[in-house]
Amino acid sequence: MTRQTFKSAKRRYLRLLWPLMTLYVIIILAGSYTLSQFDAEPRWLQISLALASAAPVIATLFAMLRYANETDEYTRLVQLKAFAWGGAFTISAVFLVGFFQIFDVIASFEVFWLGPIFFLAYGLATMTLNRNVCE
Amino acid sequence: MKNCVRALRAERGWSQATLADELGVSRQSVNAIETGKYDPSLPLAFAIARLFNQTIEEVFDDTQPPNQSQNKP
Repeated sequence: MTRQTFKSAKRRYLRLLWPLMTLYVIIILAGSYTLSQFDAEPRWLQISLALASAAPVIATLFAMLRYANETDEYTRLVQLKAFAWGGAFTISAVFLVGFFQIFDVIASFEVFWLGPIFFLAYGLATMTLNRNVCE
Repeated sequence: MKNCVRALRAERGWSQATLADELGVSRQSVNAIETGKYDPSLPLAFAIARLFNQTIEEVFDDTQPPNQSQNKP
């Protein structure tokens, strides 16, 4: 086992996380502004902005998985459990909303919000799992 | 599994953070091991024992019955 496994893994993770989140905010703001300059937004621009906006978030997910892979064994267990909880919560939301739509209880739901639901569930699970140890 | 990591650490006057740095793990990991909520892998258990100049058997007591709550952070 190498020394400083946890610290170096966390450093690598944060070194990737902050630039990605900054890039995400910049793309969202710049994209909204750019689209507002057109009366009829060009299709190619809409597609490009959608891909560019999603890319940092997707990269963040893989950075989280890399962190879980590189960190110490206990943190890995916590991270993967939190990831699983986030995934289970999100899939549950997909089925719940899906059936509400099938049975005409709700008209429409922005699929985009499943992303924040995952990150919220993942964050809450991480906090809960860590708090159980610190008590 | 019961262990005497906390006692060994206290003997040396180390904080959990110091021990975590020595082992290359997080402070939460040390806390989880000390409180018996997490049983370390064999390589980490060897690293802990070696750090304190003890054998694994001297640090970890495997004669206790398994605890259902172990390794469930």
